[in-house]
Amino acid sequence: MESQRCKGARDLLPDDMERFRQVEDVFRASCTGWGYREIRTPTLEYIHLFTAAGTLTPSMLGRVYSFLDWDGWGGERVVLRPDGTIPAARLYSENFKGSRIARLYYVTSVFAFEETGRENREKWQCGVEMLGDASPASDAEIMALALEILGSLGVEKVRLKLSHAGVLKAIIDELKLDEEAKSALLDQLLDGNWQALAGVKSKNKDLNGIISTLTRLKGKSSGFLANLQALPSVSAGLRKEIQKFSAVTRLLDQLGLAYDVDFTSVRSFEYYTGLCFKIVSGKTKLCSGGRYDNLVNLVGGKNAPACGFAFYMDELNAAVRPWSKQKTDKTVLVKAAQPSAGCTVSAFKMARTLREAGLTAELALNDSQLKSRWSVTCLAGSKGYTLRDELSGRQKNVAAADDVLNIIGGFVSLGR
Amino acid sequence: MADDLTVKTRLALPKGRMLKDTAEFLASAGVPFDGYNSSTRIYRLQSTSMPLLTAKMLNERDIPVQVAIGNYDFGICTSDWLQELQVRYPASRVFKLADLGYDSSGIFLACSSRSSISTSSLASGNRTWRIVSEYPALAEATAIKMRLKRFRVFPVWGSSEAYPSENADFAVLRARDESALRILGLKALKKICDSDACFIANTDGYQAGEFSGLLARINRGRKRNRAIAIPASSTVKETEMPRPLKSGKEGVWLALADGHQQVFTAAFLEKAGLKFKGYSGSSLTRRPESGLDWLNLKVIRPQDMPQQVANGNFDLAITGRDWMLDHLYQFPSSPVVELVNLGFGWVRVVAVVSQDLPADSMEEVQAIIRGGKLTPLRVATEYVNIADKYMRDKHIARYRVIPTWGATEVYLPEDADMLIENTETGKTLARHNLKIVDTLFESTACLIGNCRSLETPGKGSYIRKLARIFREAAEGKCN
Repeated sequence: MESQRCKGARDLLPDDMERFRQVEDVFRASCTGWGYREIRTPTLEYIHLFTAAGTLTPSMLGRVYSFLDWDGWGGERVVLRPDGTIPAARLYSENFKGSRIARLYYVTSVFAFEETGRENREKWQCGVEMLGDASPASDAEIMALALEILGSLGVEKVRLKLSHAGVLKAIIDELKLDEEAKSALLDQLLDGNWQALAGVKSKNKDLNGIISTLTRLKGKSSGFLANLQALPSVSAGLRKEIQKFSAVTRLLDQLGLAYDVDFTSVRSFEYYTGLCFKIVSGKTKLCSGGRYDNLVNLVGGKNAPACGFAFYMDELNAAVRPWSKQKTDKTVLVKAAQPSAGCTVSAFKMARTLREAGLTAELALNDSQLKSRWSVTCLAGSKGYTLRDELSGRQKNVAAADDVLNIIGGFVSLGR
Repeated sequence: MADDLTVKTRLALPKGRMLKDTAEFLASAGVPFDGYNSSTRIYRLQSTSMPLLTAKMLNERDIPVQVAIGNYDFGICTSDWLQELQVRYPASRVFKLADLGYDSSGIFLACSSRSSISTSSLASGNRTWRIVSEYPALAEATAIKMRLKRFRVFPVWGSSEAYPSENADFAVLRARDESALRILGLKALKKICDSDACFIANTDGYQAGEFSGLLARINRGRKRNRAIAIPASSTVKETEMPRPLKSGKEGVWLALADGHQQVFTAAFLEKAGLKFKGYSGSSLTRRPESGLDWLNLKVIRPQDMPQQVANGNFDLAITGRDWMLDHLYQFPSSPVVELVNLGFGWVRVVAVVSQDLPADSMEEVQAIIRGGKLTPLRVATEYVNIADKYMRDKHIARYRVIPTWGATEVYLPEDADMLIENTETGKTLARHNLKIVDTLFESTACLIGNCRSLETPGKGSYIRKLARIFREAAEGKCN
């Protein structure tokens, strides 16, 4: 049968959803434990929220789903949310007055066109945003939270990779390119083409040395950054950004959180202003985030420092070790012995009794349903129930609902 | 390498502006077509030198789309339309094989020459920039690339040069060079891309078949062509420096039609006793003089008027009811209202199929569809929203609306199954072996207005005054 599903769209089946919810539950529990509170933003937003300078890269904007709404004669396009952070920044600017600290999290889908249609065009993210604080401690907090969640999920071979948008942008400024060349270079770096940076030669040889070091080497401690800023001809602006970066890495050293300083590890850092990070398991990117101190202002709010991250659910689900299937002992199939109204009502009542006792009671409507361990058949004429254990193949007629509960609960034996 | 084609090959050729140069190029390449000239009434052409090569004449804007979807193996158009398609749909199955060395021009981002806007000021501030263009995808990509914070792109059918500065901040438009823009009262802020006549191919067809006989001739033609840049013809002859707005924000803006409707509109205005300098049956400036200090005029495409009135760029416009309905079907809560039925320019908007289809009514077409044929129903039309609504109302389960920019008759039966088209006498349809299966509605010219402008003190009374003059003329009460 030809599928009627849209290209690039996907169905999540019950097994997929169970797995999704298990990952989500761990995420929610950790976030709540750190004092974060859940938000949900609309699927539709105005496109100008995302075109506002420095929020999404041109290549990301070239793949958004945008259209004129039914009242869009004014030419204002709306867009299916292509990113979780920007709507969260808008929500903060409109609802959290006075730039106070807000710890927010969300589970949301984001939309981006993908040409082949083989990959999902709607992807799910679990995101965290910490708004209203500029200290290195807040950068460290969100990275510690992300690592804790991965630890709780049992993800292995986890590596934290760090970069810094402030340092990168200071280097680009230092190259003193004209506006067009600068914009072209930034576009290439945002798309992950680091060769473009290595290819630019400055008259400042120390700067060439820094570029070469940053694109080739990976640091393992804050000493790496101290070495960089020790060069005599590093400008004050670049030195300041490296110092900001060092403040975070020193804190991570003291907290005992391992990391690599890898400037080529990030892309799409358009709205980031400071630290950027990603977390990988093997070669798979599970999470990325960073500091975006200008974003709230760019989407119309007052200046508010902020940082955040998002987990990519597809990759995260795949990295989590297979879950042990939940035992199905608690599901009871409830049947009516005859299709009469009396038997059916009796089955509904029995199902309610079972649910009130904390069990899952599934009404057996026809023979196509999957079997579960226990089944209860409600007999006609108030003659009680037949309880059957599919595991042992034994069954017994009992008179009262309590007898059923006692046997399923293990308080009374089913007998032979 | 064969000197002829071994498989049936379809070529999409431009009508209108590019026709003469393209015909000359094809003749020099040894691929002439009988009847490929501006006076022709046949759209299906046969190569006189290559028996397996056929061609159809389409609007040049439609050619990349038609080649990409595989209705044609090759096409000739200017590269701006190819880029417009590829920017919007990067996965399109079409690519440029060769530049042909004529019709060279560029696509520019331009503003009024009176404007003080500079490229460096664009990305700063919280202003919403209004951009009009026949190239909405290129315009949007440019705005994003330049990191404009807030902008709105208004796609227009044409005449984009008329909009800056009063009705838009920028136009993205084709011009031979910057001096050609200056003649239009515009200055270039940025050249977005070059545009030349080019030979394009369908990617899948090119990969699968051999067309070396045709391609060798095209290549020979390129070498013979002296690559002399032929000046792009412009419909606007005069130098038109924009006049400043006469009466500030209180002035009323009226949009008048160019093209086919201009003669009828000018005749009606004369009947109403309104003499607009620079707007008659025979002459056109983009900014005619109304002779009234509260009335500003501009000449734009009738297709673009409803949206321009809705967004407040104009208060009034004379357009067809067909275009107003197309607008209202897209934007049901639009503030555009019909103020006066002007009575002229009567057409029927009809559903059309090929004479060869065994159906004489829409019900019979629906029966054929229910029988499993014509699925999806391919509907070619200039009225995208009217066609879309009609198909929904008729409960056609699977259909595709193919937007066209004119010459829609040529699409049936090979490239579409149905047209939603306007007709006055039905003669053109009959000549193309087509028949009408349903009449959707009748349309005449009307004065449309923005109901919010009507409520504006001062402006509202001018609008009502003008509407009264129009109504009396339409009812034959004045000469």
